[in-house]
Amino acid sequence: MRYDVTTGPIDARELEAVVTHPGAGAICTFSGTVRDNARGQSVTHLDYEAYAEMAVPQMRKIGEEIKQRWPAARVAMAHRTGKLEIGEVSVVVSVSCPHRHEAFEACRWGIDRLKESVPIWKKEHAADGTFWIEGEETKPAIG
Amino acid sequence: MAFMAVAIAVRVRFFARLRELAGNETEALQVPPGSRLEDVYETLRGKHAALPLRESVRAALNQEFADWSTVVQDGDEVAFVPPVSGGL
Repeated sequence: MRYDVTTGPIDARELEAVVTHPGAGAICTFSGTVRDNARGQSVTHLDYEAYAEMAVPQMRKIGEEIKQRWPAARVAMAHRTGKLEIGEVSVVVSVSCPHRHEAFEACRWGIDRLKESVPIWKKEHAADGTFWIEGEETKPAIG
Repeated sequence: MAFMAVAIAVRVRFFARLRELAGNETEALQVPPGSRLEDVYETLRGKHAALPLRESVRAALNQEFADWSTVVQDGDEVAFVPPVSGGL
């Protein structure tokens, strides 16, 4: 198990190395990358801000929830903060399980929970301005 | 003789758009004993008029999400955060 908030690049292979073991026949890894558009506008780059002292425990809690639902699962998660360019990896969730079906399910559940409960925020620098993304809403940034 | 606290001190942290609206990342605040998270936030709204209504904000107490009715204690870390948007 490993849970990180980091300012440096995330290596998905490193997280897979944490979850792999001889009893795991499936590793499912989700990588989120910075997209060059949003709301029909071109995006130049993103800034992610985290409440890191809370985000890591929240990720650990999600890992424990995954273990309750899929007891054989092993989990690793990392989220990057700071300025990210188009195509860079912002988040990785890697889950190993004995079989593929549960690995897919647990990994999807993990990234969905992360997006709704881990205190990290995205600031979008786009052609039409700079915006904070708050859940489903987009709000102009001040500074 | 019993010591009666007239105020307790909490450490306030703002994040993302709330940090920009408050103009502050952290702030030391004194509030009366028995204050709830909602009281702390309303006190801060009195100081920083740009802060949004509570409806669009979540509170965290000592690094866990908490109900607005939770009573704060001396030395607590209180954070006010917008809806999260991590991930992709």
